[in-house]
Amino acid sequence: MSDTLTDAQLWRDRYRLMVLMRRFEEACLTGVASKEIHGELHTAIGQEAIAAALAEHIRDGDSLASTHRNHLHAIAKRIPLHPLMAEIFEKETGLCGGFGGHMHLFDRERRFSTTGIVGASLPVALGHAYAAKISGRDSVAFAVIGDGSVNTGGFHETMNMASVLGLALVVIIENNEWAISVPFSAASSTPTLAERASAYSAPGERVDGLDVDATSAAIGRAVAHARSTGPAIVEAMCYRFRGHYEGDLDLYRSQTEKTDRTTTKDPVVLLRAQLRDSGMLDEATLGELEAEASAEIDAVLAAVRAESQPDRSLAHDHVFASGLTVDFGTKGAVA
Amino acid sequence: MTDTAVAPRNINISQAVAEGLRLAMEDDDRVLVIGEDVATQGGVFGSTRGLLKAFGPQRVLDTPISEMAFTGMAVGLAMEGYRPVIEIMFVDFIGVCLEQVYNAIAKIPYMSGGRVDMPVVIKTAGGSIGAAAQHSQTLWGLFGHLPGLRVVAPSNPYDSKGMIAAAVASNDPVVFIEHKGLLLERAQDFEFGANVPREAYDVPLDKAAVVRPGSDLTLVTLSGSVRHALTAADAAILSGVDVEVIDLRSIVPIDWDTIGASIAKTRSLLVVDEDYLGYGLSGELITGAIERFGLGSLDYVGRHGNPGVPVPAALSLERQIVPGTESILNAIVRAGAAR
Ligand SMILES: Cc1ncc(C[n+]2csc(CCOP(=O)(O)OP(=O)(O)O)c2C)c(N)n1
Ligand SMILES: [Mg+2]
Repeated sequence: MSDTLTDAQLWRDRYRLMVLMRRFEEACLTGVASKEIHGELHTAIGQEAIAAALAEHIRDGDSLASTHRNHLHAIAKRIPLHPLMAEIFEKETGLCGGFGGHMHLFDRERRFSTTGIVGASLPVALGHAYAAKISGRDSVAFAVIGDGSVNTGGFHETMNMASVLGLALVVIIENNEWAISVPFSAASSTPTLAERASAYSAPGERVDGLDVDATSAAIGRAVAHARSTGPAIVEAMCYRFRGHYEGDLDLYRSQTEKTDRTTTKDPVVLLRAQLRDSGMLDEATLGELEAEASAEIDAVLAAVRAESQPDRSLAHDHVFASGLTVDFGTKGAVA
Repeated sequence: MTDTAVAPRNINISQAVAEGLRLAMEDDDRVLVIGEDVATQGGVFGSTRGLLKAFGPQRVLDTPISEMAFTGMAVGLAMEGYRPVIEIMFVDFIGVCLEQVYNAIAKIPYMSGGRVDMPVVIKTAGGSIGAAAQHSQTLWGLFGHLPGLRVVAPSNPYDSKGMIAAAVASNDPVVFIEHKGLLLERAQDFEFGANVPREAYDVPLDKAAVVRPGSDLTLVTLSGSVRHALTAADAAILSGVDVEVIDLRSIVPIDWDTIGASIAKTRSLLVVDEDYLGYGLSGELITGAIERFGLGSLDYVGRHGNPGVPVPAALSLERQIVPGTESILNAIVRAGAAR
């Protein structure tokens, strides 16, 4: 562990945030079991350290474009937990009134968006980065993507253009070794994704994404480069703990490997042990932080559960911002 | 529509569009123009000429050949409060960036529950000019099929300037489809919409125009086909068919008031569409007319357009596939006989 371990408050915050993220995802899992969330759900259990590290660098004026596996990025961007969870639970109180759902989260004020289309967040981040440049703001555009995203054409176009224009873009790749059933090793022409940065005259750094401290430091370096020069890439190594989506039988992975990785390489468990063993935080403090985080999530979950889905009469709203409606003589319920 | 007392200015449609953009950019500094060859060259058809000089390289951005990236950029820029106009040089190229158009630009207002609007103009050129299968499509039916996009295709200089201005001012995303066969035509060569005032004005995005009154047959068409339809309609007088020609101007939404008023008079509807006939605008117009005005409101419906064939290269083949004056006249005569 690094020298920053001397800062007990920092480590309390980090640990609490990572536990909160884990509890948040676990709360979402209960929504799948109870069928309150219908459709697929992607959780980022096992990837908390990366989002927690991002949270330390991303400022309110910065933007963040995320993916289908986005809940923890939203938390890192300080999207309030209640509307966030309510949207995932398809409630009228959700961030988008229940029109978006867990893959389509939008918060304009916080410059946050997600997309269910792999690779499609990158060009959006490019737009934020260009906006920062031409409006003379020093904000950074962040895009968090999976290892699979890096193989899309959008990655190449975005990195090239960001480099040509010298834009403040930080791309954080959560390399969880899998893109649904295809392993990273079978999908990448390069042994690391970080090294692809050199094609765009950008720095790329691979880091242990289970280590919040190392990841935070790497993101810090990327942000500094982005502000002064142009795009930078951080490839944070991690492991997808659950199936690609809830309900995925996940038969394509070795169960032994999965059990081993999820039990011996859990970033939350590892951090807890480090903090306790080093004497940074004692058992009682760790327990308190866990209880606090759990209570916070429990309260949000209870509130969300009590709320309603949007009234079905609203289904035709918002197709056009202007209020234009295109009716086919069949407006109303499904004909 | 125009003041016929004033001689038309010696400009073409591209210049009219560029003038509309320039005035919109003067009026609102959140408006940006982004695309390939739009800055230094002023567009391969000249429809962004002069903008770089007037507004500089940040607001008028020449991009690498990266449609996916710059179309998605428009999404991020719109979320930041800008009003980007992105140019897809030929509408045929939309295949490489349709993702950002239909999954992001068109849907974000809805997916966000009305919290995030997308004031983006997708400006592009379509239509046949002898460039064959990959550079001749119009594709407005494709865009019209996708929820969340306004789709317009002007047919003359006056509308081109006024509609690009209205598109930029719209808080909805607008697909603005120019016709390559019209862009370089001089204003004075147009029978209608030839006079382009120098000052700023808007032409509504949702109104069709009756460009030739008639009593026997309602011919609804748009974009490059309007001229051909007018010529054919003049010739059809000899066959005893008095055609009312409607320039649709907007594919989404469709101006049913104008069409309904015409059908009430003629009880006959012929759609002339340069786009593919299948699953497209012509079917939408005919079905929509029946839904709205009733089965009993029409004695005749017909459509004439691209019969679901890639646009061929040889002129002899192209003429067989793309509606022209002669083929439209034939369609009118058939309609007249069938009434
Ligand atoms: C363009 C596109 N292709 C395919 C999919 C289906 N899909 C959703 S997630 C996914 C795998 C993504 O892998 P990765 O980027 O590594 O993210 P992870 O799921 O591992 O977080 C695929 C193929 C999609 N949503 N979009
Ligand atoms: Mg992955």
